[in-house]
Amino acid sequence: MSAVLRIPATLGVGLVWLYRLTLGALFPTTCKYHPSCSEYAVQALHHHGLVRGSILAGWRLLRCNPWSRGGFDPVR
Amino acid sequence: MILYTIPIISQLETVMQHVLEWFHNNVGLTWAWSIVAVTVVVRMILVPLTIRQIHSMQNLQKFAPQMKEIQKKYKGDKPRQNEELMKFYRENNINPAASCLPMLLQLPVFIALYYTLKHEQFPQGADLSWLNFIHDISAGTTTQWGGYILLVVYVASQMASTLFMAATADKTQRTLFMIMPLFFVFIIARFPAGLVLYWVTTNLWTVGQGLITRRLVSKAPAPTVERRSSRTPPKDDGSSENGANRESPPPTPAPAATQRPRQVRRKKKRTSRR
Repeated sequence: MSAVLRIPATLGVGLVWLYRLTLGALFPTTCKYHPSCSEYAVQALHHHGLVRGSILAGWRLLRCNPWSRGGFDPVR
Repeated sequence: MILYTIPIISQLETVMQHVLEWFHNNVGLTWAWSIVAVTVVVRMILVPLTIRQIHSMQNLQKFAPQMKEIQKKYKGDKPRQNEELMKFYRENNINPAASCLPMLLQLPVFIALYYTLKHEQFPQGADLSWLNFIHDISAGTTTQWGGYILLVVYVASQMASTLFMAATADKTQRTLFMIMPLFFVFIIARFPAGLVLYWVTTNLWTVGQGLITRRLVSKAPAPTVERRSSRTPPKDDGSSENGANRESPPPTPAPAATQRPRQVRRKKKRTSRR
């Protein structure tokens, strides 16, 4: 059952990987955070599921702007 | 592609089509120059972000000796090194230059342009300059002779922009980013010529920006001669720290904050010597 519940989050992780292999690879940037935004997204999806994980990842992306400090920022 | 199933993208495509048509019909540019104009507009919108990046790069330069030391200390342990560097950034209010958002803001434009060029036909009058350099922006890059030149410029500009952009000191990552365009060129060759044109323009903008940034950063008070001293054998670590201390300009509160972690580190070293 839990495996079935995990399907949406796994799909989300798949999307992150799709980005990494296509657009992420074509536009190489280095993230100011550790773990990087895409890694953070994968972890957030694993820990919090599709809905909360996506919100967390989106919020992280918004924080990854030139005005933020960056640094060590793991998924809680 | 799967991306097209997302409803926003088809709307983005319509917007992009109208913008291109506006540049073509109202401003009187050729299709190719319309794409260049769109690129320039997008990059101009991102300029405020860029100015911020220049400032943070200047700040990074100031802390270069200390950062090198951290890298040396955790040489064998890459994740740990990364973590320590990030901690150092946070402690000293450093804002590393690269961040994901400015890049992501460009992605919708790129995707919209991709689909516009794929779905629409742009009749004659695409030329970038004389000699029929690019005669059709929606045709494949390799179907026109100008496309090959664009591909060469793409590889060169992508490598150059990596040189200027990459804030990481991680050598393997940097080399990887440098080599990647050589492989991507084969994928990109199948894209519409207009898309490659967008790419080349945005890369050239990045390179130009990088050159200006370099000039501005080199004006900042961080002589390279002093930095070289931190590369001397580990015994001199303490003295090079002092050197960095003397050299860093006093007014900002940040250097004062750096003293705390540095003192802690020195204590650790002494105990290890005993």
